[in-house]
Amino acid sequence: MDISRTLNLIARHRVGAVIACLLVFPLVMPYEALAINILIFGLYAVGFNLLFGYTGMLSFGHAAFLGVGSYLCGIAIVSGGWPWWAAIAAGVAASAAVGVVIGYLAIRTRGIYFSMVTLALGQIVYYAFYKAERWTGGENGLRGIRVETIQLLGWQLNFVDPLTKYYVILAFVAAALWLVSRILNSPFGAVIEAIRENEKRTAACGYDVARAKLLVFVLSAAICGLAGALRALHLSIVPIDSLHYLQSGQAVMMCLLGGMGSFFGPFIGAAVFLYLEDVATSFTSHWMAVVGLIFMVFVLFFPRGIWGSLMHGLKRHGLGKEAAS
Amino acid sequence: MADITPSLLALQLMTGIALGAVYALLALGLSLIFGMLTVVNFAHGAFFMVGAFLGVYFLGLTGSFWFSLLLTPLAVGAVGLVAERFLVRPLYGRGIDYPLLLTFGLSYVMIEAMRVAFGIEGVATSTPAELRGAVNLGFGFFPLYRLFLIGATAVVVLGLWLFIEKTRFGLIIRAGSRDPEIVRVLGIDISKVWLLVFGLGTAIAGLSGVLAAPTRAVNPEMGISVLAESFVVTVVGGMGSLPGAVVAGLLVGIVFSMTSLFAPDLAELSIFVLMALVLLIKPQGFFGKAGLMS
Amino acid sequence: MSSGTPILEVENVTQRFGNFVALNQVSVAFQPGKLTAIIGPNGAGKSTFFNVLSGAFAPTSGRVRFQGRDITGLAQHEFARIGIAKSFQITNVFKQLSAHENVRVAAQMREARFELLRPRASLRSLIDKADHLLERVGLAALRDKTAADLAHGQQRALEIAMALASDPVLLLMDEPTAGMSPEETTVMMGLISALAAERTLVLVEHKMKLVMGLCERLIVLHHGEFLAEGTPDEIRNNAHVRRVYLGEG
Repeated sequence: MDISRTLNLIARHRVGAVIACLLVFPLVMPYEALAINILIFGLYAVGFNLLFGYTGMLSFGHAAFLGVGSYLCGIAIVSGGWPWWAAIAAGVAASAAVGVVIGYLAIRTRGIYFSMVTLALGQIVYYAFYKAERWTGGENGLRGIRVETIQLLGWQLNFVDPLTKYYVILAFVAAALWLVSRILNSPFGAVIEAIRENEKRTAACGYDVARAKLLVFVLSAAICGLAGALRALHLSIVPIDSLHYLQSGQAVMMCLLGGMGSFFGPFIGAAVFLYLEDVATSFTSHWMAVVGLIFMVFVLFFPRGIWGSLMHGLKRHGLGKEAAS
Repeated sequence: MADITPSLLALQLMTGIALGAVYALLALGLSLIFGMLTVVNFAHGAFFMVGAFLGVYFLGLTGSFWFSLLLTPLAVGAVGLVAERFLVRPLYGRGIDYPLLLTFGLSYVMIEAMRVAFGIEGVATSTPAELRGAVNLGFGFFPLYRLFLIGATAVVVLGLWLFIEKTRFGLIIRAGSRDPEIVRVLGIDISKVWLLVFGLGTAIAGLSGVLAAPTRAVNPEMGISVLAESFVVTVVGGMGSLPGAVVAGLLVGIVFSMTSLFAPDLAELSIFVLMALVLLIKPQGFFGKAGLMS
Repeated sequence: MSSGTPILEVENVTQRFGNFVALNQVSVAFQPGKLTAIIGPNGAGKSTFFNVLSGAFAPTSGRVRFQGRDITGLAQHEFARIGIAKSFQITNVFKQLSAHENVRVAAQMREARFELLRPRASLRSLIDKADHLLERVGLAALRDKTAADLAHGQQRALEIAMALASDPVLLLMDEPTAGMSPEETTVMMGLISALAAERTLVLVEHKMKLVMGLCERLIVLHHGEFLAEGTPDEIRNNAHVRRVYLGEG
């Protein structure tokens, strides 16, 4: 069937497929800021999904990495006067470092306990940044992250122009997506999926499960940190709520909505979530209830998410086996 | 610099115990639900918040604090029963994360519901007339209401202990938390047990809300940070352990209170750091079973 | 009667679960190259003993030695690395992965554990090894089938393939024929015999008939204690053993 061949083709070149969609994305969205938001949160969800969908570890503290990435990138520019690309690197490195600490502590616990612990550890970061007003601006967040023109590969780009901003951010997101795809296809990718399927069995096969979990945790943190750094550059501010566990919950929701444990799911989830939010908040102030209800409906009836349910349905008709992962 | 006298320390300790009493009740409800259903109730803070709102509401309706103290946990527990029956139950057997995820979504709806019902600013609270004033404890004057809070919690904990240790239903709870299969084999409908335990756990959360209401700002967001704090207590005490919930609750309240005295900026941070330390040294918590970890 | 260093031995191993003593001062030596079975009536402590031998947990007291080296308390994941592989009593495979991937992942441990950037499809030696092992256990035709969709006996065969993937010198099997039909059991027995010719096997079994015809040495446990040890004939004629088994009805 033609559908099957097309789907398998997309699956085999999944990074290319996503990038192709994202290249034309701004033309489809009502305004660029929404498209940029989807890029950033799509990456956030992809990073989170590495841990949740592929390794099976439900963290409720990932806002810590989004936030640390944002704050350290911002602080590097505002207080340190660093160039924008070094600031991004600082954000990613800091998130990875925090990932090592939180990961090490949280991995000592299993299953549902892990979710509680990551939430609470994430709150440590939240309170710490809240109190460190001198560096972070406290309650008001970090302000004044001004990046107007950037030098990229010899080109002088006007970062203030939304379309230019979109494509610069897309370059980073594309690189990160390529990396994630490689990781998922690698021998290590097989190990984390095995852990998700059966931890005990994976250990019996001879894999140091705790070490593997820590590694994927840190990778996940770094990717979310990159999303955070890009967000800081986009918004020019870092709101304190970036670090709150409700922001972590948003990553969870996006992944479930789109389809966890799949390559396309998190991005689809982020796009649908943010587009819905944009539409809904224009005619109701009760967006929180709407989100909660939709999320509960998905948890109860569509746990595979949009992409997962789609693939499952197609699989039942014998199509697109490869695209499901 | 204010002088830190022994009396001041003692009073601050008492404040910590009063705060800890609320934490203990919250953690009790959480641990009860987890121990029996293996569900982490991410809506626990929301149930606490609803309890606070309903407490104020029933007080306004009946004019009697004691009525509201009785009605609120019943009302909140009823909401819990409905939630378990229709939202959580379909998810058993699906995977341990699903009930957690569902209750997280539920908390969003509950928060928004309270915004619609009572407004986004929250409601004003005051100490019930009968419990106003302060008591001379020897080393200083302590608010009567907080003393009542501590006493009420002690009564509830004792009642719960008697219920679990001495009644038939309590026996089922103890057996079921160790091995649900046994309970099923004995011909007891485990789903009814789970329903009632969830109702009981949320009712206790609602009770802690109505008890706490006079001591803090009652607004729809009040349960958000409380959820994180109750997680700290359960990690420190040991998830699923009821003695652990009480001891850790009091400990966390005291740590918060004493830190507020010496380094007020670090008070919120201090309890989370306590949790991190416990994770480093004894990840299963003070009273937790080692099997749950590693 | 031992011929050189035992490949695996336990010394005064005691296992307590709270107040319950599952194993009491058990000392046993397993000889390399032999097919040994651990038998005993229900409640003898066979499963607990298996768990201690295979590294699921460390004994409350006592020592475990592998090829002369003390491995008491060694982490579970180290066992496969040093050459001890196991198959579980209740089938424990990666349900959502294909049969081939199950074995490939098990084999990957020896070569490329934490490699991040190389596509797994490029590691041909692992793919070939997995195919070879699947053929060995008779699952070659089912290589792409999801493990959850395999028949019970096929899943147990898959477990064996996974255990073999780490190139173990010692293979521990917990009731390998549990829940199998007579036909499946016969196939499994054949496989066990073939494997026994090339490496050391230790089984936990409660099906006496199987064990008598197949194994070179038997170790009998009773109420968590060592009762007897010997060849099938010696055990058959052992008065203690007969009393314990006949006494159980």
